[in-house]
Amino acid sequence: MNPLTSNTQAILLLTAPLLLGRGSSATDLLTLGEYNRLARMLRQKEKSPADLLGDSAEEILGWCSPRFDRARLEDLLGRGFLLSQAVQRWQGRGIWVVSRADAAYPRRLKARLKEDAPPLLYGSGEPSLLDTGGLAVVGSRNIDEATVTYANSIGRLTAEARLTLVSGGARGIDRAAMAGALSTDGKVVGIMADSMERAVVAHENREPLMQGRLALVSPYDPAAGFHVGNAMQRNKVIYALVDAALVVSADFQKGGTWEGAIEQLERLRLVPVFVRSDPSAGKGNVALLQRGGLSWPEPLTGFELAEAMRTGISDMAARPRQATLPFTLQEQAPSYPAKKPSVSDRKPPPSTSEGTEDKSQEE
Amino acid sequence: MDYSPQRALELLRLGTLNPSAVFHPGQEEAIRHIVEGRGRLLVVQKTGWGKSLVYFIAARLLREQGSGPALLISPLLALMRNQIGAAERMGVRALTIHSENREAWPEVEAALARHEVDILLISPERLANDYFRSSVLGPVAMGIGLLVVDEAHCISDWGHDFRPHYRFIERLASNLPPNLRLLATTATANNRVLEDLQAVLGPDLAVSRGDLARPSLLLQTIRMPSQAERLAWLAERLPSIAGSGIIYTLTVRDALEVADWLRARGLIVEAYTSETGDRRVELEAALLANRVKALVATTALGMGFDKPDLAFVIHYQTPGSVVAYYQQVGRAGRALGAAHGVLLSGGEESEITDYFIENAFPTKEEVNAVLAALKASRDGLSVNEIMAQVNATKGRIDKALLLLSLESPAPVAKLDSKWRLAPTNLSDAFWQRAERLTALRREEQSQMQDYVRLTSGHMEFLIRALDGDPGDFHPPKLEPLPLTTSGAVVQDAVAFLRRTNLPIEPRERWPVGGLPRYQLKGMIAPEHRLQPGRILSVWGDAGWAELVRAGKYSDHHYSDELVAACVTLIKEWNLSPAPEWVCCIPSRRHPELVPDFARRLAEALHLPFHPVLEQTKDRPEQKLMVNSIQQARNVDGSLMIRGDSLLSGPVLLLDGMVASRWTLTLAAWLLRSHGSGPVYPLALASTTHRKP
Repeated sequence: MNPLTSNTQAILLLTAPLLLGRGSSATDLLTLGEYNRLARMLRQKEKSPADLLGDSAEEILGWCSPRFDRARLEDLLGRGFLLSQAVQRWQGRGIWVVSRADAAYPRRLKARLKEDAPPLLYGSGEPSLLDTGGLAVVGSRNIDEATVTYANSIGRLTAEARLTLVSGGARGIDRAAMAGALSTDGKVVGIMADSMERAVVAHENREPLMQGRLALVSPYDPAAGFHVGNAMQRNKVIYALVDAALVVSADFQKGGTWEGAIEQLERLRLVPVFVRSDPSAGKGNVALLQRGGLSWPEPLTGFELAEAMRTGISDMAARPRQATLPFTLQEQAPSYPAKKPSVSDRKPPPSTSEGTEDKSQEE
Repeated sequence: MDYSPQRALELLRLGTLNPSAVFHPGQEEAIRHIVEGRGRLLVVQKTGWGKSLVYFIAARLLREQGSGPALLISPLLALMRNQIGAAERMGVRALTIHSENREAWPEVEAALARHEVDILLISPERLANDYFRSSVLGPVAMGIGLLVVDEAHCISDWGHDFRPHYRFIERLASNLPPNLRLLATTATANNRVLEDLQAVLGPDLAVSRGDLARPSLLLQTIRMPSQAERLAWLAERLPSIAGSGIIYTLTVRDALEVADWLRARGLIVEAYTSETGDRRVELEAALLANRVKALVATTALGMGFDKPDLAFVIHYQTPGSVVAYYQQVGRAGRALGAAHGVLLSGGEESEITDYFIENAFPTKEEVNAVLAALKASRDGLSVNEIMAQVNATKGRIDKALLLLSLESPAPVAKLDSKWRLAPTNLSDAFWQRAERLTALRREEQSQMQDYVRLTSGHMEFLIRALDGDPGDFHPPKLEPLPLTTSGAVVQDAVAFLRRTNLPIEPRERWPVGGLPRYQLKGMIAPEHRLQPGRILSVWGDAGWAELVRAGKYSDHHYSDELVAACVTLIKEWNLSPAPEWVCCIPSRRHPELVPDFARRLAEALHLPFHPVLEQTKDRPEQKLMVNSIQQARNVDGSLMIRGDSLLSGPVLLLDGMVASRWTLTLAAWLLRSHGSGPVYPLALASTTHRKP
C-alpha cells in the first residue's frame, strides 16, 4: 500500500472524521462547501492543500482568516497523530484512500460531479473497476422474495453482458443484484453509505475482492455507521460512475432511491435512468416513469441488456439540454464510454478546484 | 515555535537539582531542533546521557507556547516511573497509561481534557490496542503536538529486541504528516538500524549520535558451565564488591532460584521479574537507596532504569545479543569512577536463548492451521474456538494472530471479538522476514559466545560490534574479580539445587467443553478434587532433574537416589492425614517406568502399592497436546479403575512428568468417586516451569 500523498493527508485532516472505531468522536470538520471554498482560495494563490503541512502553513493560514477561523484550521491540521492512527487502521484492513487531488481518483466522478465530488474516497479491492462505467442498479432495502430473484437476475445479465454492476451495497436490491453479478464472474462496484470496514471482511466478499472482481468504495469513513443523509449523497456517486441506471423499485415520493432518481431525471441528467415497469413494481416506479424514466425493456440476455443501454444512452444524447443544468455549464460534456486515457493524459478538468495539485502528482 | 535558551537551562537545573548544571554536548541542539520544528530527529545516545531531559524540556517549552501535549511511546514501565520523578521537578506534568493502572485512566482522561498534561507516557502494546485507541486515547490524539518514540531501534528488524508491537509504531510513523514533530531516541543503533529508521522516518531525518565507550566499566567473562559453580561464585564474590548492583538471569525461574540461594547465604537480595507485580516500585526504590545488595532480575528491570552509582552488573547467563548485553551492563558505573561488568557463561544458556529464538515466530503449521480454521468459518472464530481446532497453546495461537494482524494489509481482522479472514493472502515476505530475523538472532547468539571467549579487549569488542569507534579505550583501574570459586561452597550449592521443589495447584473446574465421556463439566466438586501436591524438580534444571532425564530417556529406570529424594520430600511435606497407600498414573507406552518407581517408593515408605488405575487405550502422548483444551480432550475417556483393591484411606498418587495436570485431576476424580480418601499428587518433574 503506497503512503498517502501530502495533499491527501491535508484533505483528510481538514474534512475527515478519522474514526478509530466505535466510540470515537469527530471535531468541527470542514463541510464540502467550506472545503471547496478553501481549495479555490489555495488555487488562486497557486498553493495546494499539502502546503498547509509545510513551511508556508503560517502564511496560508494568514490569508485564510477571517474567512476561516484560524484556530479551527489549526486544530484540524493538528490532528496528525490521529490521522496516522486512522491511516494505519485502514491499511491494516487493506483499505485505500484517494483524494480529489490524486491522479488515481476516479475520472468520471471528478468530471461529472465537479465540486460535488467527494473530496475523499475510501475503498477496498481493485480501484480500476471505478473507471469501467457499467450499469447502476438501485432500489429499496425492504423487498419480497420475488424482487430479490429479479434483482439477482439483473446482476447475472449485467455480468453476461461483460458490464460492471454498480450498486449501493445495502441490504435488499443492492446486495441481491451484486450477488447475482458475482455469481456469474462479473465485475462489481459497491458504493457503501456506511460500515465499509465490516463489509470488507464479510465472508462472501473475500474471494471477489481478492480476485479483483469487486471493489467496495465509500465517500464516508470506513468505521462510520448508518446515516440517512449519507445514503442520499452516496446515490449521486453511484449515478456519476455508470453509463446507465436501473431503478428496480422505489418508494413513492420518499426514500433515497426516489430522491436519487428524481435528482437525475430532473436536475443532473448524468445518465439515462431506466425504471422497471412491471405492474408489480409499485407506485414509485409508475411515478418515475411519468417523470421521464425510461421503461426497462426487460432484456433476457446479456446482449439484449447491452443493446437496451446503448439505446438509452443515444436517446439521451439526442435530447436537448436545458441551459440551467449544472452539467451543461461546462464547455464540453464528457462522453462515455471513452477510451481509457494513459496516465500522462490525466489532467483534471480545468474547473476543478485542485488544479494546482497537478504539480505534486508529477513529482 | 521559538526556542528560549534561558528557559531551557532553567528547566535543566530544576530537573537535575543542580543550580549550576549545563547541557551535555548535543542536548541543547536536540531540544532546539524539536522546538523550532526543523524536522524529525533521531537521538542515538548511550543510557545516562539524558535523553529524557531532551524530551521533557522540549515538551515543556512547546506547551508553554500553546502546543498540544507530547506523547511518549516507551516499552517498559520501569522507565516510566523512574522518569516521572525528574519530570515533576521541572514542572512537567507527566502522566502514564498502561495495562496495570487501569483504575487511573479516567483521571488521566479528565486531566487531558482539562489540558493539564504536558506529556503522556504509554506502552506500544496499549497503543496497538484497538479499544484503547478508540475509547481512551481517541479524544487526546486530536491535539498531540510532539510524538516521542523511545527505544526506536525496535522499529527496525535489525534492532536487537524484537517487539511485535513496534511493527505498529513503524507504520504509524511512516503515516505521520510532515507537520507533526517527531523525536525518536535509542541508546544503540548500528548502521543497519539507522538505515531502517531513515527508511521509516524519512530521508530528511536528522541524527544526533554520541560515542559508545563506557570508561568506568571493567568487563570480565567467566565460563562456568554448572549452575552450582556460578551460584557459589556469586555467594563468594558478591560480599567483596562495594555498593549495590544487578544480577541478570535469562528466566524468571532462575531469578527466583538465584535470589533464594543468595538469601540462604545471608545476602540481602530480591528477585525482580515480570511476575513481581506491585512490588516493583518498592524494589526499584530499595536498589536506588542501596537497601539491597542486588536485585536478581530478568529484563523486566530494563531500559532506562537509572541508578548512576550502580556498582556492578553481573550476568548469571549470557544474553542473546551484544546490544542487549551492552544495554544491560551499561547501567553500571554511570556516575562512578569504576564498576564491574561480569558475564558468567553457563551450560544451559544456549538452550534458553535457542528457545527464545525458536519461539519468536509461530510455525508455518500453526499459521496455516489458524488460517484454515478461519477460512472454514462463516462468521469468524473466538480464540477459544480456534484452540478447539488447532493443536497449539493459547500463547502460540495468540502470538500467531498478533503477528498476522500486525501485517499490513493483514490477512486476519478482529470484528466483534471474533477473528475473520480479511481479503488478503499472507505474503511470502512474512516468512522471509521470520527467516531473516531468526538467522540474525543466531548470528547475535554466536557473537556473544565469541565475547565469552575473550581474555582482553572486552569493551573494544562491544563497541566494534555496534559499529562504533573504540578509539583509544582505557579500562578503569580496578582489581578484576577472581575467576574461581571454592569447592566447599559449590557442594553447598549442589545441595541447595536439590532442595527446591514446586507445588501442584489443584484444578477447580473441568475444561471448557467438559469431558463428555465422563459426563463431567463445570466446577469440580471439592470432595473430588486433588489435594495440593508437589513436584520434585523442574525439567532442564540442575539438581534432581538431571537424574529424572537420565531415568526417562537413557536408563528407562528411575534411580534409587530419586526414591530417596522423594522419601525426604514426603517427610518434609508432613502430610495430615498421612497417606495410607500408593497409586500411580499408568502408561501403555512405558508400562514399567512409573509403576516400578511407585512400588519402590511405597516399600521405602512402608505403604501398600495398588495400581488401580488403568489406561483404556493408546493415546497420543499428553505432551504432544499443547493447549489446555486439546490436552483435556485427549484425557477424556483415557482412564478407568481396575479391580477391587482400591483402599479407602488417603493416597499418594505418583506420576513422572506433569504439565497440564488434567491426567492427575481426572485420576483424583476416579479414585475419590470410587471411595478413596484424599489424593496427594507427587510428580518427578514439571515440564512447564522452565519456560522463559
